[in-house]
Amino acid sequence: MPITFSDDRAVFEGICAVQEAEGLLSWVLEHPGAPVDTAACEHLHSAVLQVLMARRPPIVALPPEGPLQQVLQPLANP
Amino acid sequence: MNPLLEQFVIESRDFLEAIAQGLLILEREPGNSEAIDELFRGVHTLKGNSGLFPEYAAFTHLVHAGEDLLDSVRDGQRAFDPEIADHLLECMDIVSAMLDCIEGGNDLAPTLCEAGKALAVSLRALRAGPLAAAGEAADDYAGAPADAGEPADDLPPGDASVGGNAPAAASGGGAALGSMQFRYTPEPGCFFKGDDPLFTAINAPGLLRLSASARRPWAADEGFDPYDCNLVLEGWCDARREALEQHFRYVPEQVEWSTIASTSGQALPVGVVDEATAPQVGTLAGRGLTEKEETAAGRILRCQHQALARELDSLAAGTGRAGEPAEAVAEHTANRVLKVSQEKIDRLMDLIGEMVVAKNALPYLAARAEVSTNPREIAREIKNQYGVINRIAEEMQDTIMQVRMLPVGNIFQRFPRLVRDISRKLGKQVELYMEGEDAEADKNIVESLADPLIHIVRNSLDHGLEPPDERRAAGKAETGVIRISAFQEADRVIIEISDDGRGIDPARVKAKALERGLIDEVRAAAMTDQEAVQLVFAAGFSTAEQISDLSGRGVGMDVVRTAIERAHGQVHLASEPGRGTRVRIALPLSMAVTNVMIIRSAGQMFGVQMDMVVETVRVPAEAIHQIKQQRTTVLRGRIVPLYALNDLLYIPEPPVANEAGEVAVLVIRLGDQDVGVIVDDFDATLDLVLKPLDGVLGALGGYSGTALLGDGSVLMVLNLKDLL
Repeated sequence: MPITFSDDRAVFEGICAVQEAEGLLSWVLEHPGAPVDTAACEHLHSAVLQVLMARRPPIVALPPEGPLQQVLQPLANP
Repeated sequence: MNPLLEQFVIESRDFLEAIAQGLLILEREPGNSEAIDELFRGVHTLKGNSGLFPEYAAFTHLVHAGEDLLDSVRDGQRAFDPEIADHLLECMDIVSAMLDCIEGGNDLAPTLCEAGKALAVSLRALRAGPLAAAGEAADDYAGAPADAGEPADDLPPGDASVGGNAPAAASGGGAALGSMQFRYTPEPGCFFKGDDPLFTAINAPGLLRLSASARRPWAADEGFDPYDCNLVLEGWCDARREALEQHFRYVPEQVEWSTIASTSGQALPVGVVDEATAPQVGTLAGRGLTEKEETAAGRILRCQHQALARELDSLAAGTGRAGEPAEAVAEHTANRVLKVSQEKIDRLMDLIGEMVVAKNALPYLAARAEVSTNPREIAREIKNQYGVINRIAEEMQDTIMQVRMLPVGNIFQRFPRLVRDISRKLGKQVELYMEGEDAEADKNIVESLADPLIHIVRNSLDHGLEPPDERRAAGKAETGVIRISAFQEADRVIIEISDDGRGIDPARVKAKALERGLIDEVRAAAMTDQEAVQLVFAAGFSTAEQISDLSGRGVGMDVVRTAIERAHGQVHLASEPGRGTRVRIALPLSMAVTNVMIIRSAGQMFGVQMDMVVETVRVPAEAIHQIKQQRTTVLRGRIVPLYALNDLLYIPEPPVANEAGEVAVLVIRLGDQDVGVIVDDFDATLDLVLKPLDGVLGALGGYSGTALLGDGSVLMVLNLKDLL
């Protein structure tokens, strides 16, 4: 599983494909305010990005420098 | 050169001509939408054609920049003005020089490519539309660090991201030359087609920055569907537009482009980057930003500076946009491709068929001659056959002549541009009228006319027409008029160039000619004004007090006269001080075949060109008078100086008179004067194809060429102008 969900955080790993979006959405709804760790994420599908942008779970770790980091950067709340 | 490329070069030249004309029309009537469409189509096709040759990408790139600019003119985002015209004309000049390279079988010269690149940048900078679009995008961003005095919540404003907006801001403040910005709005159902817009965007060529935002606000709780794409991806790429278009080729309608254009035209040197960033961050810090915001702002600035530095190289390469392409254009020789109507070629084909049949009859005739006992009959048959071949040869000659006929309009085409450029340079207002462009003359004649005409028109612009204030003071319309007309008169084509400028001051011309030692005082005093102005054609005469880069380079009108006389034409100048100048050029329609009169002297045959001969007379020896060293005679009340051809050719033999004691005198016209040349006898006139002397003989004066006679002997054709 590219995304590992637990009660206190979701950890993204490798390539998060389109089918992850649904699971992520329900996890975010169930765990409001729980952080997301994308440090090991290589790519995430646009649908997954939509979930992050619409529901705004705090991103606590960003992927390595690159376009993906640039896209996720504004979602990394203080 | 492969045929496709050859065709491309020929077609492109046609397009360039049409484009140049279109631009001039548009400059006169900027609102002419038909002309814009026409122009756009031309440029568009030119670009499309060049795309077939990936090795000439620089060519395509430049034309593409021109096309984009025209596109924004066509859409009304940008009004057409002389600045655009200047740039586009320059663009076409460079393209034309590139075509020369391609035609010569070479790669595009690096200097040209660089010039093209630099020009493409300024062409893109001229587009106002994309700048405005970029400005809009920048507005989102302006809410953040620029107005950082506002509540800090503004830094990540809503869903719009901060980092990715940096490029847009750069378009306002920096110089990100040649960079492209894209705004990719995927269609809502794209996920179901297997698209991943984010993936596409991340892999865009040369991507520097990327940001994502929402097209419409995200729906509340249950309404949100992660599979309904609501993204807008904006990125900033250091890549050519072609590459980006290629990348987004499946979704072209969902992507908007803009060029991040230069506003200042200057970029910061690499070393300045950090020093430059620090104070800016400092300024921001002074506005009460949190530490995090400060870091973010610093990062934005650093990214901007990096991007700027990246553009430095291409900018540095582009600054040397020198006058080289223009020079190349000036050297551009006449187009060597001749367009011929199908009809004429068919006619030639028919004639060749007839010629082959006539030729095949000759061996048959020879066989008959061997067995025949009747030479008279054979002679008659040979003459018949000669008659047939002669007719075919004459028709062929005639058709070939027609093929070689070119409308003089071919050389007129370049005048609108010439007049426009020079009059802008000199700050004069000039209206150019041309008529009779379809008058035809031999290709060589038309081509030999090109340079003299340009020289005359330049002279008119530079010396003839006055600046607007001077014209106003003289009670003339501010806009000067240059009129070029061509028409056929008998077997000559006449070209007249007239202006309504200040004219030529005969007194000044005389004074100058005296000063230069071209005439003596006696002659000056005797000269009429009309004669005096002709002196501008004398060798070594140039009245321009200041040597400008237009005319008056010391090579004056004598070059014009020489060139026209070489084509067996005449040039005449008429001028009225304060009213203008008119130059009239008369040229033969064709010079491929020359009508020559054969004369005999000292047992040799010589040719004289018929167009010089006024008459042939027999003069009794007693009618020849010796005045000092000069022999003269009186013909119809006029004194005609006489020269013996033998003397002119240094043949130590006296002229031979006929039984009645009369000598043969060939009267020829030299300029405005008739001159008699004493020869031994006159012979037939012939149509000959005159070959100029070349090799060692080329340096020989006195002869205009040679021709082969029917019996195989060589006829030397005299150049009497040279001899006398």
